Parts: sequence; structure tokens; C-alpha cells
Amino acid sequence: MILEEKLQLLTDTIEAEPGELKPDLELSSLDIWDSLAKLSVLAMFISKFNRELEVEKVRAFKTVGDILAEMHE
Amino acid sequence: MNVIEGAPGIEAVEYWHPAQGASNDDLAREFGDWDARKAYRVTGVRNRYVGNDRLSDMAAAAAEKLFQAHSVDRSTVDFLVLVTQTGDYLMPATACIVQDKLRLPHTCGAFDVNLGCSGYVYGLSIAKALLTSGAAKRLLLITGEKVAHINKNDRSSRVLFGEAAAATLLSRENIVAEIGGFDLGTDGAGYKNLIVEAGGTALPHSEETARGIVDEAGNVRSRDNLFMDGMEIFNFSMRTGPATIRAALEKNGVSQDQVTLFILHQANKMILETLRARMNIPKERFCIDLEEMGNTSSCTIPIALRNNMEKLGGGDKILLCGFGIGYSWASTVLTWRGKQK
Repeated sequence: MILEEKLQLLTDTIEAEPGELKPDLELSSLDIWDSLAKLSVLAMFISKFNRELEVEKVRAFKTVGDILAEMHE
Repeated sequence: MNVIEGAPGIEAVEYWHPAQGASNDDLAREFGDWDARKAYRVTGVRNRYVGNDRLSDMAAAAAEKLFQAHSVDRSTVDFLVLVTQTGDYLMPATACIVQDKLRLPHTCGAFDVNLGCSGYVYGLSIAKALLTSGAAKRLLLITGEKVAHINKNDRSSRVLFGEAAAATLLSRENIVAEIGGFDLGTDGAGYKNLIVEAGGTALPHSEETARGIVDEAGNVRSRDNLFMDGMEIFNFSMRTGPATIRAALEKNGVSQDQVTLFILHQANKMILETLRARMNIPKERFCIDLEEMGNTSSCTIPIALRNNMEKLGGGDKILLCGFGIGYSWASTVLTWRGKQK
């Protein structure tokens, strides 16, 4: 999956604005990065990558790029 | 010695909820900047019922509804099992109070079971054992839960949970569903992820435990209130759900394709949809039924079972699976025999 596809998938998952997400964007600057968004990311990893992310890892995500780096099977 | 014929099973199921509903629009007006649409997307809940009734009154109301709808002679009920985590008092068992309110015979055994999301299927396993042993001939299994421990400013919990009670009558005669073998399990290492911490003997109520703390999402709760780590519960559900379902199917000699309807604990829509997709279960054979009443803990499975009974036919296999607080889980397979009276 190329970078643009990952960004689109993450945008759809957490319902970000089109073009809003960049790899270096701090998640703490996003109002939408809340508990529901984190749950949605966990579900996306199960559905799209068949991977269960550890909760500690999700809580440690600082930037959009941190999530993108985990988006693989 | 009298030999009891017939396999243990379910005679009838009915449920009850408080009269007062709270829609997402109601919560949005109360919470102000709350995103109702997003909450619905994740939870799948549009409405929930919350009242001022005692748990014993809720349980009795569900049972009375069942007695009336199915012309049950209450003097024939010789055992009552009540599954709840929000009973009337710390002691005695609320089952004793319900026995009196229902005017069940004094020869009726009664006790509480302190389980939540897995509690209905656990209750079925207890009922089956009591009926099989001959200790009970006609057993009333009631599940009931209140939202008593939820802080009114904890939006994440208030949107998800609702109150209800469900009554199931079981015996070895005139049954509509036969109860199969069980897969039961526990992992107490997860107990802190869904908990009301204060109020027991480990941490009695105090001014300290009553002090509310605002979390990063703006929800307020104290140690007297329900705490849920949603992400940990999600991961637990993904690990445990498929494993216990497969184990129950194997124990009952039933393949996944032979199951007519999968009724899992209605935890939230995202957990259910993700589990369904992970297990490749077709939508039409997978029950999602929490839009109107929310997550009612041990009541979600009997509510969904009751709501789907008219669609079931003789020989149909129904997979029941409860999982959650504890961590605790339980699964079984029902074999449908015919329509509820």
C-alpha cells in the first residue's frame, strides 16, 4: 500500500477532512483524535491488516506518521 | 426415584425496560458540543432506557410479563437464578427479594450471579446443570442491569449503556429451544479494564473515591463510577470472541456454516461489525440489535433472542456468545424446536 492509499484509509477511518492528514502532523493538534477515533483505528487494523495493535502502542502515537508506519500486514 | 425425561431447554423469553427513553438528540441537547453522529457510528446506539426502578422491580416486571404472556402457573417455578451486578443491596441477594415479589413458593431455590456481559450464557449453563441434576424442574433465569454506577457527565458510557431486565423460563418439557454444550472462560488479569472500583471491601466509599476527575475526552468519573478502557475491551473482544465461538461450535459438532443466527453480546456496533468481518459471517446471519436499547449487559442476548424468535424454524442452530467484564466469556448453541407460545 503506497503512502497516498494509507493516508486515504486513515482519513476515512477517523473522518478527517480531505487532505488534512500529513505524516508529520501532530495527533494532539487534531480535535477528532479522541477515544472513538482510536477505537476506529484499532478496528481498521483488524479489518484491513489482520493485526491487533497493542493499546500502549496506540496511546504512544504522536504523529500521523507513527500510525502510517504500522500500516502493514 | 423419578426419572426426568427430555433435554433441558428454554420454554419462553420475555424482556422489560423502563418507560423513560433517552435518544441521542436528548443527550446532544444535554451535552452541548457532543458529536451524536460520530458516537452512533461507533456504538450503533440511537436510544436507551433509564429509570428509577429498583433492580428487583425490573426483574419482577420481566417475569410477570412472561407469566402473563405464557399463562405460567408461578407455583410450578422451583428455582430462581438472578444475574445482575446492580442488585438492590450489597446484601442480601436480590434473588430473595424477587422471589417474594413474584410470590414464588418458599420451596423455590434462589441466588444471585455476579456477572455482566457473559452472564446470560453462564445463567443458561447453571440452569441446564440444575435441571439435569434434578435439583430444579422449572427454573426462572432473570438477567437485569441498571446504569447506577455511571457518572452523569461520562458521555462515553451514557451513550452506550441502557437498563433492562429479561426473564427466561427453562424446564425439560414444552421447550422451544434445546441447550447444547458450553465453552466457558475467565481471564481475571483484565479485571481493571471494566470496573466499579469503590464500594466493596477492597475500597469502601469515601470522599476521596467520590471525587470526579475529567479525562482527556472531557468525560467525568470518580472511583465510585463505572470505568471502561474501551480499547482494551475492544482488543479482548477480538482475541476472545472468535476463539470461544469456535470452541462452542466444536463442542456441539456444528460448523459455522450450519448456524442460522449468531447472537453475540451487543457490546457496541464497532466490536460486532469487526468480529463479524473477521469471522466471515454473512450479515443476514449475524444479529446487531442495540440501536433501540443500547448495551444492556447480561440482557442483550435474551433481548436479541426474543426479537428474532419469529424468524426461527425447527432445527435451526443459534450460537450465543457473551464476553466482557471480568474478563469472562461463555458460548453455547441452541437448537430450535418450534415457535414460542
